[in-house]
Amino acid sequence: MDVSHDTLVVIAKTVGLFLLIAMFLAAVVYAFWPSKKAKFDRAARSVLDDEDGPCR
Amino acid sequence: MVAALTVGTRVLALVILGIGAIVGLAMAVAGAGQAFGVHGWIVLIYCLVIAWRVMLQLDAPEPSPSRLRSYYDDPIKMGVVLTMAWAIVGMGFGVWVAYLLAYPDLRYDAAWTGFGRLRPVHTTGIIFGFGGTALITTSFHVMQRTSRARLAGEFTPWFVLLGYQLFVILAISGYLMGINQSKEYAEAEWYADLWLLVVWITYFTLYIRTLARRAEPHIYVANWYYLSFILIVGVLHIFNNVALPVSWSGSRSYILWSGVQDAMMQWWYGHNAVAFFLTSGFLGMLYYYLPKRAARPIYSYRLSILSFWGITFFYVWVGSHHLHYTALPQWVQTLGMTFSIMLLVPSWATAANALLTLNGAWHKVRDDATLRFMMVAAIFYGMATFEGSFLAIRGVNALSHYTDWTIAHVHVGTLGWNAILIFGAIYALVPVIWRRERMWSPRLVEWHFWLAVAGTVIYVFSMWNSGILQGLMWRTYNDAGTLQYSFIDTVMAMHPYYMGRAVGGTIYMIGMLIGCVNIWMTIRKAPEAGYLRDMPKTPAGDADDRRVPAE
Amino acid sequence: MLRKLTALLEKIVSPFGRLYHLIFRAMYRIERYSLGLAFAIIIVGGIGGAVEIAPLFTINETVEDAPDMRVYTPLEQAGRDIYLREGCYTCHSQMIRTLKDEVDRYGAYSLAVESKYDHPMLWGSKRTGPDLARLGGKYSDDWHVAHLRNPRDVEPASIMPAYRWMEGREVELADLPARLATLRDVGVPYTDAQIENAVRDARGQATPDGPDAEGVVERYGEATNVRNFDGEGGGPTEMDALVAYLQVLGTLVDPATIAAAQAQVGSKGE
Repeated sequence: MDVSHDTLVVIAKTVGLFLLIAMFLAAVVYAFWPSKKAKFDRAARSVLDDEDGPCR
Repeated sequence: MVAALTVGTRVLALVILGIGAIVGLAMAVAGAGQAFGVHGWIVLIYCLVIAWRVMLQLDAPEPSPSRLRSYYDDPIKMGVVLTMAWAIVGMGFGVWVAYLLAYPDLRYDAAWTGFGRLRPVHTTGIIFGFGGTALITTSFHVMQRTSRARLAGEFTPWFVLLGYQLFVILAISGYLMGINQSKEYAEAEWYADLWLLVVWITYFTLYIRTLARRAEPHIYVANWYYLSFILIVGVLHIFNNVALPVSWSGSRSYILWSGVQDAMMQWWYGHNAVAFFLTSGFLGMLYYYLPKRAARPIYSYRLSILSFWGITFFYVWVGSHHLHYTALPQWVQTLGMTFSIMLLVPSWATAANALLTLNGAWHKVRDDATLRFMMVAAIFYGMATFEGSFLAIRGVNALSHYTDWTIAHVHVGTLGWNAILIFGAIYALVPVIWRRERMWSPRLVEWHFWLAVAGTVIYVFSMWNSGILQGLMWRTYNDAGTLQYSFIDTVMAMHPYYMGRAVGGTIYMIGMLIGCVNIWMTIRKAPEAGYLRDMPKTPAGDADDRRVPAE
Repeated sequence: MLRKLTALLEKIVSPFGRLYHLIFRAMYRIERYSLGLAFAIIIVGGIGGAVEIAPLFTINETVEDAPDMRVYTPLEQAGRDIYLREGCYTCHSQMIRTLKDEVDRYGAYSLAVESKYDHPMLWGSKRTGPDLARLGGKYSDDWHVAHLRNPRDVEPASIMPAYRWMEGREVELADLPARLATLRDVGVPYTDAQIENAVRDARGQATPDGPDAEGVVERYGEATNVRNFDGEGGGPTEMDALVAYLQVLGTLVDPATIAAAQAQVGSKGE
């Protein structure tokens, strides 16, 4: 590999930084997406009565 | 248990066991006279014993097709028993090596009783035997319940569970016979590693196939954690164990990596074994059993998702904090330190999420020792992650590294978080799976709880004291500008703390044994739950039968 | 409080809906399909490992040059394999950190190059016993043998296990050529002659007055320890091999080279 250490450093400090911020934002947006609230609430409650099935 | 399998599955099992037995025989012949040959015999006997169990019921009638509409809990039952068996082995060896450090001659004059051979038996027995079996067992339960679906297949769960046991047996018996590749927490040799890989891939496919049967499109977050545990541990295992065997008929191999690259690979693996084996997988356990037992949904489901991606992303970077001030390039050390500190955010978010779930249910925590196990586990998790981030700071690490402080930190995690959570989960799981109203003796659960907490606290305080004292003694200079203490001075100063540690471990182990008795008696004696569960709801509905009323 | 924060975040996020439409769709797919989730986990988890580990193999600053460094002799490698077998790494590190008290206690701090041929490395993580990175030459062979036989004979307060069972046990020599060949396959520069003569060299190194001693020096250099390590007659024992290994720890690289490399690091200001 001919990439020098300095090039890597530059990439890490520019593109890398924004990539990480974008990943963080993506996770936040996903978790707090308004229309998903109902779905997440349902998921959180779903474990409370699973012993009866329905099972498939 | 065999009678509940179809005749076709029983035959398939016999074929696979036959192949295993042949491989075992081949190993025994090729490695005759060496430890490798003994491993061949172990594989052969293991396969034959299971095959014999299958043979006994080969002619039993076909099981009823109606079973396919219920959850498949037989492997979970076996898994619970095996988990507790590994607890006895792992903690038993742990207590022994703890006493060995206080009284080095408390052993036989034989090779297998050297500390260096026994210590990996303890770590592997606890992490892979006890922890791994608990993870596989609870994941079988969680994946079915959260998906409202039966396990995909009746053969695969057994293959995963029993195949995994064979890996741990090979690993541990190997250390005692001197088969050890000396990579910490990955000491097993190449053939055991290959076998684990086969088991692991099967485990992953089983998980994915079961999830594919789910009714709800959304996958409950506990499964995310279990999945990341399976996937990342698989990747780590492959990269860290790339080795070239010296011969196909011997156990010895040499690892592909060397020196500084091997060190980084080792601690990338080593710390992520902590991250994805002992954290991610156990968070899956926590996110199911805690809300379930408290009968309250998790405080913030969204926070659990955020923490998930945070933990998955951050954890992978932090391994290099095991190599501060070493020959590893400094930029890698700094990365490891930085990410270790950032990791505290998702870790504490997770611990807070668990504790806030209990807000409004503290009376249950007071009355129900099982729920208290899980709460205390979450607290210890918070403590361990804080301490972990703290110890990753270069300056602190200069003092703490190589000392018993690390041992204290690890045991806050393993005794306080992992094992206590396993006990909580098992006390919640056992009555459900065996259809009992409750555990045989709630008082014994209470006893176990307090012994476990006391044992952990005594252990951890002993090791904090010895670790910090040792670190300080190593770097003390006298007026003449030379080192004040010889190494043996520091060893002698450790003796009282090593005693304290052994006592703490013993107390913890007694609690665990009480738990074993309680679980056994629950299986044998506890009153059966007087209602049917685990079957599809009839249109008429029988919602009143729910074990935990929704709030 | 947290719920209010959540509501606030929702409000902030919602106007940017269109902007994140793509991400959202992708996320939905990820969640919808378990394999998508699995894939995302691997990607997110893989970044850290790739960024930290991959450059270590390419950047030439990672490992210093030490042209005079030699490989382990067959007897030393056999000793190292015993060290692995007994799990000595559980109590002894082989990595002197760049801290004053460690340098004062154990010697010059360890360089990456010194474990270049170590498959696996044995830097360790715990010092229940002292660091061994520069143990070679510090004690006599007799001391080592007596200490391994029963550490408490030499140091009454020691908590190390006694290895008296190891005395007189013949060391496994037959597969040494195969071991060296495997090590060559993973990157240790053994020559054909070294591999061919592995068994003879192992015997020769422990039998200084025997006919094979000369070959060892010829193939591994003048500085090689050729001694009867355990002081007993007969073929090389496990004690011979282990002591030979312990006596070479930290001496494979010339001290002058180590000092030069460390001076260079120092001038860079670390």
